Amino acid sequence: MSLCPPGGTYKHPGGMAASTAEKVQEVREVTRIERIGAHSHIRGLGLDDALEARQTSQGMVGQLEARRAAGVILEMIKIAGRAVLIAGQPGTGKTAIAMGMAQALGSDTPFTSIAGSEIFSLEMGKTEALTQAFRKSIGVRIKEETEIIEGEVVEIQIDRPATGTGAKVGKLTLKTTEMETIYDLGQKMIESLTKEKVQAGDIVTIDKATGKITKLGRSFTRARDYDAMGPQTKFVQCPEGELQKRKEVVHTVTLHEIDVINSRTQGFLALFSGDTGEIKSEVREQINSKVAEWREEGKAEIVPGVLFIDEVHMLDIECFSFLNRALETDMAPILIMATNRGITRIRGTQYLSPHGVPIDLLDRLLIVSTKPYEEKEIKQILKIRCEEEDVEMSDDALTVLTRIGMETSLRYSIQLITAANLVCRKRKGTEVDVDDIKRVYSLFLDESRSTQFLKEYQQEFMFNEVGESIDMLNECFY
Amino acid sequence: MAAAWLEKLKSAQKTCLIQDGRRKIHFTFPDGQELAEEYDLRNNELVVRKWRKRGTMGGIGKWETEVGDDSGMKNLEVEGMVENSSNPVFVRKDTVAQFQWRIRNLPYPLSNYKVSVDDEKRELVIRTENKKYYKRFNIPDMDRLHLGLKQDQISIAHANNTLIVSYQKPKEVLDMEQSLQAEFKKMKASKDGDIDCNPS
Repeated sequence: MSLCPPGGTYKHPGGMAASTAEKVQEVREVTRIERIGAHSHIRGLGLDDALEARQTSQGMVGQLEARRAAGVILEMIKIAGRAVLIAGQPGTGKTAIAMGMAQALGSDTPFTSIAGSEIFSLEMGKTEALTQAFRKSIGVRIKEETEIIEGEVVEIQIDRPATGTGAKVGKLTLKTTEMETIYDLGQKMIESLTKEKVQAGDIVTIDKATGKITKLGRSFTRARDYDAMGPQTKFVQCPEGELQKRKEVVHTVTLHEIDVINSRTQGFLALFSGDTGEIKSEVREQINSKVAEWREEGKAEIVPGVLFIDEVHMLDIECFSFLNRALETDMAPILIMATNRGITRIRGTQYLSPHGVPIDLLDRLLIVSTKPYEEKEIKQILKIRCEEEDVEMSDDALTVLTRIGMETSLRYSIQLITAANLVCRKRKGTEVDVDDIKRVYSLFLDESRSTQFLKEYQQEFMFNEVGESIDMLNECFY
Repeated sequence: MAAAWLEKLKSAQKTCLIQDGRRKIHFTFPDGQELAEEYDLRNNELVVRKWRKRGTMGGIGKWETEVGDDSGMKNLEVEGMVENSSNPVFVRKDTVAQFQWRIRNLPYPLSNYKVSVDDEKRELVIRTENKKYYKRFNIPDMDRLHLGLKQDQISIAHANNTLIVSYQKPKEVLDMEQSLQAEFKKMKASKDGDIDCNPS
């Protein structure tokens, strides 16, 4: 494999001559364009040691009180069956706070994030989906012996079939000071090796059971190759002895994973059982007692995690009563819910309730509220997002965008960043300025202008008459 | 010493089957471990011995071969990565008088190999001068009887791209194997094809 340009140069195939189109394909193959999620800039809750929130830190801006409350919740993670509701208007950073909590917990604490509507699946029951989500959020730290392969990469060769489509074929040659072995690679392994950007001269360990690849560093014998070195490149000795070793490792698995290992029906019996993804309650009970046994023997340790349910008002009354009950077990994780609704109907009933959550469940919750952002906070968030999306923006443009954010919504103004950047690049500019913002503001409607537009031109849209009759029908029902 | 191992085998639940000129015996131990052995009927040579242990997390483990060939087709997509077929293949294949290991796909001449005993870890070590192959392995049979390994019992040979390492079985092992065979003869073995279905 050739070298990967750092940072990834992103080229638009559309604006290129046809002859260079092939080359672009190649570039894209080597470094995939990193996609950026809406909350990718969040690195933690931005609290200091005394749990006081800093105004701007770790990607978080404002919402000082809500963030401080979230920090307190993290401290009480050891106690089972605690639940928190984050309530606030759309675009006030509810999900951001939950993500920040996940980041602050670290990678060893299980954090499961689901949306309320996710549990309505035809594959499995609502309560089964919720139980699985609960069990995914409880970790068990346990010692296990696994087989690992540890060695220096001599050669890595990944071939695409001549037709251009179909499965890739890969070979990996590893060595230690004593021996050398060639491995054939499966699809998944090829993918993860490419993702980790493993190349000749790297020292890697591969966990055979999970397929997890860890780069330990570069080999000392390659210390003279200055070409592909970042500032954090670490040099390590080539491993000794056999390539395959048995090692005792401590790792965290979730209760759900243990459930699955023990419930998988073997061989032809799986044909009859019909693998619907549901796990029998007997299996779960068995596992619970087994885990309790391990804990008493000192073999395992329970790591309580966090379950985050976004858009919790989408759950129905059955789910809420299930949650009530589930929170009482000693195996319950911390439950964080978020909603943007006020007083509304509880799904599955005719009753109105605050946040669409029944009063008895609300009574068990600690409620944290988020408030709309102020102007300077919006400006700060937009600035952070510009950095995250690699967009250069002039101060004037940022001020205009902030105003747009104040008048419409934070989300709309964040969307405009990328759009404005594209417009700016088309005119071969390096910095997004006020004109670019104006341009995209006129190109894309925000929610209120779109509503306005519909009000004006409603008559000319299709099925307009039908819409009116539906309105009438609705009035008859309610 | 031998008694403990014999007792363990006796305590297990056993099933015996005679098929393809082999006596196949399956042991299930009280802790859930399984052992499968196959002996050649003509000369009572051990052809296959494999173990299956329970995983730490529960669930059914994989068969681990101690004696015999396990180079059955491995699924590349399931395993993630598999050793290329051109690599050396390590197989234990005993004779009546010797423990024997065959490493195929090793084209280098005999002078390239060095086999020694690591007393501390109770392992045999195969090294190569050209640093292409290296292997450490124990002899589970010797461990079970708590016998030490001796350098002078090892002999090596090379032919047809195969390195053959032999270790002379000590008297204790031979005695135990003989008494085991006597036990196996006493076991009622079902013949291939006709399953005993007399209602009792």
